[in-house]
Amino acid sequence: MPNSSTADPAFVLDGVGVSFASTRALKQVGLTIGTGEAVALVGPSGSGKTTLLRLLNGMLRADQGSVHSLGEEVGVVNTRRLRELRARIAFIPQDRGLVPNLSVVQNVLLGRVGRRSLLGALRDMMLPPKPEEEAIHALLERVGLPEKIFDRVDTLSGGQKQRVALARALYQDPRAILADEPVSSLDPARARDLVGLLLEVAREGGLTLVTSIHQLDLALEFFPRVVGLRGGKIVFDGPPSALGEKETASLYDLSQQEMGKE
Amino acid sequence: MNRLLSRESRAPLLFGLLAGGLLAALLLRLNPLDLWAGTAGWELAGKILGGAFRPALDYEAATVPEGAAPLWLKILGAAGRTLLFAIAALSLGAVLGVPLAVLGSESAWRGWPVWLGRLVRPPVRLFQAALRSVHELLWAVLFLAAFGLSDLTAVLALAIPYAGILSKIYGEVLDETPVASQRALLALGGNRLQAFTLGLLPRALPDLVSYTFYRLECAVRASAVLGFVGISTLGLYLRQSFENGHYREVWSYLYALLLLVFLLDLWSSTLRRRLK
Repeated sequence: MPNSSTADPAFVLDGVGVSFASTRALKQVGLTIGTGEAVALVGPSGSGKTTLLRLLNGMLRADQGSVHSLGEEVGVVNTRRLRELRARIAFIPQDRGLVPNLSVVQNVLLGRVGRRSLLGALRDMMLPPKPEEEAIHALLERVGLPEKIFDRVDTLSGGQKQRVALARALYQDPRAILADEPVSSLDPARARDLVGLLLEVAREGGLTLVTSIHQLDLALEFFPRVVGLRGGKIVFDGPPSALGEKETASLYDLSQQEMGKE
Repeated sequence: MNRLLSRESRAPLLFGLLAGGLLAALLLRLNPLDLWAGTAGWELAGKILGGAFRPALDYEAATVPEGAAPLWLKILGAAGRTLLFAIAALSLGAVLGVPLAVLGSESAWRGWPVWLGRLVRPPVRLFQAALRSVHELLWAVLFLAAFGLSDLTAVLALAIPYAGILSKIYGEVLDETPVASQRALLALGGNRLQAFTLGLLPRALPDLVSYTFYRLECAVRASAVLGFVGISTLGLYLRQSFENGHYREVWSYLYALLLLVFLLDLWSSTLRRRLK
């Protein structure tokens, strides 16, 4: 396992189990992700990828086992510490979570809400301070969208929205990025561009990157480490080169798939 | 709503509505022959309806007091005050309605302990219902009896039921607004107030404003009706002209109200389109 034995791992899951009603979403999951690592979570729908991501920033609490993120035990910290932790972990949800009728710059500004007062954030959104606006312009340049800074988000294409979500994540100045199916709604060429961009900016910033992704080809092409989930269990963890035909088949084989029902 | 109007339930629903209507008419002993007025009645009805074709352009009274403003100016002033009362009442209603809507909504309590929302929401919603269950005309009559009707009490009488209606609809708008951005702000470290105010509210704002403008039309009508209990809106002069038998003047006031509502509708629908 590359890098996973780094002295200061970014994320550690130990014996983690999560249940929703009668469904076991995760069973006995153990996983260590080193600082600066880039990990793709792959597996069929309902295998627990999103659940795992949501554990890492405490949007979800484990029923069993422990989750450590950036050195904090997520399940036990108080609300304030949890918010501070979330401010250091950028989470890009599958639906992106942008405010469609606000401009790009206003949406990116929201990335720092965790460190601002309500009134301060409100004032910034009405009248973005010049230095912030310049910083955001630079970020948008990095993600390839500088000319759209004052456009309303609902006028943008799916790929452009994803870039805004990425810019918001970067503006957050995080230690790690969690992205839930960042390219699921994009065509293959744009999806490829965006995954490449995601890895580049993570590498540049020394950020830990954990992404769920259902396009196996992109996971294998771009990520040094791929974690395969099926029925709430980790069935593969290693470099793409170790994921042979047999493993791929068993990962996605419907006849073998355990749906996670109790 | 959709389930109610599904294909299978449409026929029974329609039948039920019809049956209910018939039953109500029977219980009220509604008699179509009541529309048949006596000879004197027909004469009066003819006079009143006849005014519709030739509304008064000047006073109908034989003697008009010295220095009285021309009729068109009086109508214009009354229409202006009708609009002003409506705007004042609607603004006050919106200001009172927003906090009530937020406290009574589901979306504002997202992320809070469940029991807290369950504790606060029912009394707030009951209060909203209480505000809107009494019609503005009844409030006006109450105030008239208690304080004597002034312009301020008239605005209050209008604003109270509007606060109730607006808070109910605002709450529904908030709860129908997609939660994605509110959730995203919680996920990146925002607190519940920030997530609601910056993630959900901006998204709901166009619909909130749009509905408020939609309501302005109703407020104008209500403000005109309040003239019947004495405030100086179109209704007051309409009633005076009616009682003096000046039916052509009555129509002048009615047409002024019609025009006012029509212009407002035109203006507010353009505005609402632009808010989309």
